[in-house]
Amino acid sequence: MTGFFHYFLGALDPGSVFGFWRTLPELMISAYIPWWLLGVLPIARWFLPDMVCWLVYLVKPAVMRPPLPLGAFRAEPFVSVVIAGRNEAASIGAAIRASLLCGYRNVEVIFVDDCSDDDSIAVARRAARSLFPHGTDRIRIFSSPRRNGKASALNIGIRMARGEFIAIIDADSALQYGAMHHWLLPFADPRVGAVAANLRVRNSTESIVTRLQECEYAFQVTMARLAAARVGLLTIIPGAGGLFRAEIIRRLGGYDTGLGDDTDLTIKLRKQGWKLGFSVDAMIWTDVPATWRRLCRQRKRWERNMVKIRLSKHRDMLALGCYGVGNAIVMLDLLIIRVTFPWVAAVGLLVVGLMEGPLSAPAVLTDIYWIYLIWLFVKALIARDVAQTPQPNHFLLLMVFPFYKLGLRAAVMSAELAELLRIGVKHPYVPDHVWQETPWW
Amino acid sequence: MTATEAAIAEERRIDLLRCIADAGGVIEPQPNPQAEHGYEYRRLARNVEPDLQFLAERQYLDARFFDRVSLCPKCQSHHLNVREICPGCRQAHLTTEVLLHHFRCGYTGRASEFASDHRGEGGYTCPKCNRQMRHLGTEYDRLGRTSVCRECGLSVEDLPVEAVCLVCGTGTLAENLTNIDFFAYALTSLGRAAIGNGTLLERDDQLLFISGARVYRRRVMIEFLGQEMKRLDHFKIGFSLLMAEYRSAAAGDDHRERLLSGLRECLRDIDLIGQLSDTLLIAILPQTRLREAEALHQHVLAVLGPQPPLTLTTLEVTEPSQIAQILARGNTLGAQG
Repeated sequence: MTGFFHYFLGALDPGSVFGFWRTLPELMISAYIPWWLLGVLPIARWFLPDMVCWLVYLVKPAVMRPPLPLGAFRAEPFVSVVIAGRNEAASIGAAIRASLLCGYRNVEVIFVDDCSDDDSIAVARRAARSLFPHGTDRIRIFSSPRRNGKASALNIGIRMARGEFIAIIDADSALQYGAMHHWLLPFADPRVGAVAANLRVRNSTESIVTRLQECEYAFQVTMARLAAARVGLLTIIPGAGGLFRAEIIRRLGGYDTGLGDDTDLTIKLRKQGWKLGFSVDAMIWTDVPATWRRLCRQRKRWERNMVKIRLSKHRDMLALGCYGVGNAIVMLDLLIIRVTFPWVAAVGLLVVGLMEGPLSAPAVLTDIYWIYLIWLFVKALIARDVAQTPQPNHFLLLMVFPFYKLGLRAAVMSAELAELLRIGVKHPYVPDHVWQETPWW
Repeated sequence: MTATEAAIAEERRIDLLRCIADAGGVIEPQPNPQAEHGYEYRRLARNVEPDLQFLAERQYLDARFFDRVSLCPKCQSHHLNVREICPGCRQAHLTTEVLLHHFRCGYTGRASEFASDHRGEGGYTCPKCNRQMRHLGTEYDRLGRTSVCRECGLSVEDLPVEAVCLVCGTGTLAENLTNIDFFAYALTSLGRAAIGNGTLLERDDQLLFISGARVYRRRVMIEFLGQEMKRLDHFKIGFSLLMAEYRSAAAGDDHRERLLSGLRECLRDIDLIGQLSDTLLIAILPQTRLREAEALHQHVLAVLGPQPPLTLTTLEVTEPSQIAQILARGNTLGAQG
């Protein structure tokens, strides 16, 4: 046991990585399939886009973060901000104020309360009165007489919206001052149907879990979506921050009930051939789960939605002839990188451990750890330079970030299995009477 | 104010008290569209509100809320046309629509958007997923009524209310209207004493005590009770109450004075006796436990004779809710009186 401990500590030595660098040239000219599948492919998928983004940003920053043209939006299009929520009394006031006072004048806010038990409506009304004591049509509040779920509440808001564009944000989110102008910028291209906002973590200093999520959002929300949007492969317009052309969202009939409403709507837009944009400067500050338990619950829900919506309901996207090459690539990427790769990696490690002996697995893992860490630091520096996130004081936490991701991966893989086996599919977010009517995909 | 003006004002106020006494001791505002603010006190002269307020502030009258009248903030008229308006174009040309919600696909829209089922089975067809919606509550739901402006098309659930003055034409949101309150006034024992004296009672003893009997007035007793509660709260020094309720409200003043002097004899100098209503007397017994209060109770019964015209009860006060109950009882008896 002591021997193993010394061996393990020895493997933690970053110098062990140098052995890897010595064998790298040999590996690169080899036909060793596991190396290409488990080494090169993930790096090309997760690292190269960031690197390319950074290089482009260095040479031509306006491509990545287009500045507002002088005299833009002299005739500001009317934007309706739709917020749906249930029991959001603590944050709805701030969300309404931030939306109306975001530096964009031609905006209205519609809050739809999904039959809250708390005083969300009173708080929203108070916010309206404090901003417009003499009454206004720029804030409208609707209440659902029965709890119908977020999708239905959003549909009420969409139905009532008057704007040329409809922004969907969460009740626990707040629009950054000046964000709306940037958010609208990609719509100068008439082929753009929706634009995702750059979600930033508002409560990043609340706990170590939120700090780690700030790093994760910098990599997976800001940088990954920036790169994906540039090549037309953006796969999500998030429910916490999405701006749509009103005519399109109405034509689609709004959101579908059940979970994963934002993913579903995004895929529908992709299928119709609309381009999806992303704006780094359209920042929305949102609260993320502050405890590990709540985070796991959230990610499990997202993963179940992924399986249900992407792999089941919209599996026809995979057919090359149906919805174009781009959508097929998106599906392949999802199947290979998000679903297959983690399972192959997990099974591979198990097999290596069994075949090469129990001591070989830590050596492999520690090598992976150091490579991953170096890679993370570079990614963090790139994200910091391009999008000013994550905060520099969170860089040290990158040391534990691989363990954070490993834990989350284990949780979401269990959720994938459960969803595929249809175990515990009913989620309390969807009321019973709606769930009973919602089709199973 | 000169002495002459003061004398005239006092005379006017005494007359007012007499008028209220003639009206049965209580005067209520009566609606009158021609009156300046929509209500008037019949039997009383015009513009008596300042005098009524003056007398109520000095406990000659007991003011009870009667109604609130909204006035135009510009011209103070009560002739207002109050209606809901569209918050966008501020027109009152509104209609209502029913929204339907299809559970299966989440579509929400006006009932008119959902085509009626033409096969005679009732229900609707969803315009989004083209499915039949037959069963209200299990397949679809009504989301309540929403108001729609016929001028600008805005849909709103919570409409603002605006009042337009029919005299000057000013439009004002309901929350910005000027409001005035009207009260019903009831004569108090102090008011009756003032009528008897023919003058307002301004001496300290007149204001503190019910005439002649050294029995504290209601407002003074409430102050004392509050003070005792503070002592109880701070020093945990308990106190008891001895309450005496007249069996007959019509007992004569002489009879009452005899009873009061009998009661006074039984009490210690530190005990305070006062009146909460015309028929309810209360004695505060500081630093007295329930057992001692009950002993006093028996002693008073012995002094007053075999069939006293009073019902006596004792109580040790340990929490504020007991005081609130006693004051409520005093109010009820006052209202009955």
